[in-house]
Amino acid sequence: MNTQNTSSPISRRTMLRTSGALAASGVVLAACGGSSATGIARIGQTVTTLKLEDLVVTDLALLRTAMSVETMVKDMLTDSGVTTVVSAENAPILAAFAAGHTAHLAEIRTLITARGGKVYESTNEKLMNSYGQSALDLVKEGKKPEDAIALAHALETLVAGTYQYFVSLALEPALRAGLMRIGVTASRRAAVAAQLIRGGTAAFAPANDKDGNALVATLPGAFGSLSAVEVALGPVNETGTRATVLMDTPSLNSLIY
Amino acid sequence: MDTHQVDTPTSAPTSRRALIASLLAGGAAVAVAPFLASRASAAEATPPMRDAGDNASLNADLEREARMAATYAIAVAALKGDDAAALLLIHDHHVAYAQALKGYLAVEAIKPNKAPLASPTGSFAAIANQLAALEDQTAAMHIDSLATIKGLDAAKLLASIVTVEARHAAALQVVAGAAPLTAAGN
Repeated sequence: MNTQNTSSPISRRTMLRTSGALAASGVVLAACGGSSATGIARIGQTVTTLKLEDLVVTDLALLRTAMSVETMVKDMLTDSGVTTVVSAENAPILAAFAAGHTAHLAEIRTLITARGGKVYESTNEKLMNSYGQSALDLVKEGKKPEDAIALAHALETLVAGTYQYFVSLALEPALRAGLMRIGVTASRRAAVAAQLIRGGTAAFAPANDKDGNALVATLPGAFGSLSAVEVALGPVNETGTRATVLMDTPSLNSLIY
Repeated sequence: MDTHQVDTPTSAPTSRRALIASLLAGGAAVAVAPFLASRASAAEATPPMRDAGDNASLNADLEREARMAATYAIAVAALKGDDAAALLLIHDHHVAYAQALKGYLAVEAIKPNKAPLASPTGSFAAIANQLAALEDQTAAMHIDSLATIKGLDAAKLLASIVTVEARHAAALQVVAGAAPLTAAGN
């Protein structure tokens, strides 16, 4: 069989080269085009979708979030559910801890206004809804004086962890130092609260009770932890255990942008 | 009889594929260029993970931790029981800090001076108070370092150290007999 091939005036290679060049130049022209929309629908024009807000973790967002956490902790420590169950001996200590957070708020306000930002005076609703309110409800329900100091210990550990975490997000080195100057005061309060729960040098290291349950340690680790703070609160249930609340430091979904 | 016809291309089989691939790559590059340009400008604001300019400050922090460990070693030798065990725990923390800083600095790490910062003596309360003061000074030194160092990894390491050193200071003050609010710094 004899097959005769006649070459087309437009070869396949020419066609591919031309169409590729057209596509590339089309992309260039599209990129150079303006973004102004006339609002008149045209053939081939797709509807512009609304882009989600591009949220950036700025130093100001960290400071505003720190204010929200400080406000939340101050409000929780002064909540009537806590102040009514705390022992007379520990009541002034918790009140002083709350006053410490009020002092932190003043320091952070200064840091925000120095950077031309807007202060945030409310609580962190996401964290409050996530675990804050549950913790308060359990303290009220349990009516145990030791729960008030256990809550204070957890909250101070949470605040210290928050500042430690924010160092990894802050852009300005001077602000990292400023955050830690506030954070170490919460860390000190956490150690004091731990000693109020379980005192003495024997309580420095982590240990378990006779049933194998972890006891509160004043120095639970060599390095500051960023994992969730765990605290058992409220009444003992029918299985002989208590509810455990996990408190996480603020993250991208709970920052105040 | 079966006839098998084989089409032999006139040009190399890879040339067409290469042509299409290069066209696609060119088009894609043009399309993503504006996006990459915006990303590049955003990356400029991101702090570096490491910065060689931090080494001097971090070496000073390393030496401080080595000297803190040496100081605790003296205190542990002077005590017994739970008190000695508690100070040994803190001693081990400082050893861990020195090791972490040395590991971070790697070949840039100096050989630190390990001379004790003090010779804690007297009762347990007196020893604990001396050590608490040294803990406060060490934490303050690291916070001052944080204000100048640029590398994010080093900043995170120092922050995790400072958080616990503040606990050391407060805990030592409490067991030395200070009032809770005094130890808390309120």
